[in-house]
Amino acid sequence: MENAIVIISMALICVGMLFFLGAAVGIQRFPDFYTRMHAAGKGDTLSSLLVILGFSIFQIYDLEFSKDWFSHNGVTLLVILKLLAICVFIMMTSPTSTHALMDAGWEDGIEPKLKKDKPNNALKEDRK
Amino acid sequence: MKWIALIAVTLTGSLLLVGVGDFPEWGDAHSAANEGPKLESGEQIATAVSQSFLTDTDELTQVPNVVTAVLADYRGYDTMFETVVIFAAGLAIFAILRVFGGDEVKPMRAPEDDTFCEGDHSRIIIGTTCKLLIPIIQLFALYVIAHGHHSPGGGFQGGVIMGASFILLAIARDLKSALDWFSEKTFMRLASVGILIYAGFGVLCQFFERNFLDYGALKTVMFSSEQMARSYAMLGVEIGVAFTVTAIMFAIYANLSSRGELKQGL
Repeated sequence: MENAIVIISMALICVGMLFFLGAAVGIQRFPDFYTRMHAAGKGDTLSSLLVILGFSIFQIYDLEFSKDWFSHNGVTLLVILKLLAICVFIMMTSPTSTHALMDAGWEDGIEPKLKKDKPNNALKEDRK
Repeated sequence: MKWIALIAVTLTGSLLLVGVGDFPEWGDAHSAANEGPKLESGEQIATAVSQSFLTDTDELTQVPNVVTAVLADYRGYDTMFETVVIFAAGLAIFAILRVFGGDEVKPMRAPEDDTFCEGDHSRIIIGTTCKLLIPIIQLFALYVIAHGHHSPGGGFQGGVIMGASFILLAIARDLKSALDWFSEKTFMRLASVGILIYAGFGVLCQFFERNFLDYGALKTVMFSSEQMARSYAMLGVEIGVAFTVTAIMFAIYANLSSRGELKQGL
């Protein structure tokens, strides 16, 4: 039981770190503003959610199951609740901020990079 | 150029890591900061004041968070003038940037209809998220202020969070609707009231023939023991700090983002 909790939380944290790595590589390697923001927004959100979820599952390790377990584990339960609240907060704010940045970039007239044979006038058509 | 940057970063990073090795152990009771300065031979020269902070604070002030007790009680004078510094920064921004009347300047963007949450596809996501989040942020700010002497937090941190919630409203919607909630008259008044609250607690102590900011004197006003009076007075002082910080945070943003006109934001 205890081993399973540790393994699950470690797996979640490791997968989250992997996504972080992917996001970092994406920010460095993608060709233009929009694709880079895509990497940052998606990768960051998912990876921080996974890491924090891993933390909160690891906290279950500290719970003591006895007769009146609810009164004994107040502090641990509070920590788990706070971590889950951070999860909800990140889930709401991170995509919104990515969206706001993208929107500002579009309004500012940053051209997306398209294939060479396609004419690069997506912005012009939108402004018509 | 990239290689030079990489080398510099690696060098700085490894220097920092080496420096960490010289730190005293985490929570080491015998480090110089906790026990006082020592000679090479290990002879104690003086006792550090932190010893008495750590041992006596809980007994003397009933405040579990020693940091808040030091900040708001033992060094209350210092914190009061820190608040004054923030107030002065706000006044300086006000004096340099604020423009009254003058010519009607062309708005930076065409005036829009009220599209906070309806219709406009580019605003609906941001608008809805802010509508959900701003109350939570403000509630959290109040918690940080009120819980400052039991957990990390206090007037400065809570005030910044509260000010940030108004700034978020101004960014997500526009400056005008933020100013409807929190007008210039209100925030300049609130900033002064904050300092007046802080200084008022100090002066009130003098009425009971004690020193300025010696909160223990307030036990007759607070109907409590001297220890609890210090605890309550710290809360009151933190609230004063929070007022000033909230107001000045928003004042700085409002003046900077509208070039001192407070008409059209970013």
